[in-house]
Formats: sequence, structure tokens, C-alpha cells
Amino acid sequence: MGRARIPLILSVFISAAYVARLLGSLLVIWLTLGWRVRKARRALEKELIKQGMPKQEAKKIGAQYAALKDEAINALKRSIRM
Amino acid sequence: MSEKHGKKKTVAEEAEEVRLILSAVSTEVPALIKSIIASVFSEEAGRNMGRAAASFYKELKDGGMPDDIAVRMTQEYIGVFTSLGDLLKHAGKGKVLISPEKGEELGKEIEKLIKEKIAEKKREAEKEEE
Repeated sequence: MGRARIPLILSVFISAAYVARLLGSLLVIWLTLGWRVRKARRALEKELIKQGMPKQEAKKIGAQYAALKDEAINALKRSIRM
Repeated sequence: MSEKHGKKKTVAEEAEEVRLILSAVSTEVPALIKSIIASVFSEEAGRNMGRAAASFYKELKDGGMPDDIAVRMTQEYIGVFTSLGDLLKHAGKGKVLISPEKGEELGKEIEKLIKEKIAEKKREAEKEEE
């Protein structure tokens, strides 16, 4: 009886490890998202300023682009709720 | 006894199936999300979008568009990409983003701006001829 339970317990432990790995990966993605957005935003602003756009206006457009991150997160949340 | 043993085996099999599913999900889902994010939020993607917006802005400026209007139009241009979330949200509900009245109003405004621009260009050409 004890021996029959071993594969079940093993499967449960391995499954828990996979869930932990999945959650860990999602956490890493979430943590690095802000950094990625900042880099992308800086590159976008740089290109706009290079073409002669005033710095302040370029920053406004950059902020608009960065807002896409919140939209993406909201869309993800909505899909999870569904 | 044998029935009881068979039931236990089924539970073990189910656990094994769940383990297999989770092993696939835990590797595939983060990779999928990462690639989707990288296609929108990467230095390269930002630079490309910046280049597109900058060339749009430059064309407007070269065409003689006033600075504030050129900036506003560039903002709207970028807004097309950034409002994709809204687009998807409304598409799912079968709603339209711009009402027909507002669309007509917008069309008239654009037409007016184009006519003004053409008249201005004509005046400039006439002056040059003189």
C-alpha cells in the first residue's frame, strides 16, 4: 500500500515544482517588463529627438508608448478572469 | 481489494498526466509570453517605432505643417499602436471606436485642413510666378 502511494506522492511533488517554476518565470517576466519598457521608450524618444522633435513632446509620445504596458497587463488580467 | 487497487492506479495515472501537462505548460507559457513582450517592448521595437514616427513627423514638417499640428498628428499616429488594447476590448464586444457622427466631423476637419493647405500652396506658386 505504501509502495503504491510513492508514484502519486512523487507526481504531486514534481507537479508542485513545475507550478513553482511557472510562477517564478512569470514573476521574472513581470519584474523585467518595466526595465524593457524603459529601454524601448528611451530608444523611441531618441529617434524622435534625432529628427528634430522638441524634447518635451518626444517625452509625451514616449509616455504614450509606455502606457501600452499597463494596457497589456490589463488585457492579461482580463483574460485570466475569463 | 483488486477494485480498490485499480482505483488507486487511476489516481496515480491522473497525477502523472497532470505532471506531464504542467511540465509542458511551465516551459511553453513563459517562453510564449516572453516572445510576445519582446516583440512589443524591446529596444529594437522601440527604435523601429521611433523611426517610423520620426519619419512621419519629418515628412509633415517638410510639407510645411506647423510644429504643434505635426506633433499632435505624430501623437495620434503613435496612438494607433498604443490603443490596440482598446481596439481588442471593443472588437470583442462588437462596438465601434468612432461613432459615425464623430467620424463625419473628423472627415470634414481633415478636408478643411487639406483645402487650406492646397490654397496656401497655390498662393505661394502664384507669388513665385510673379
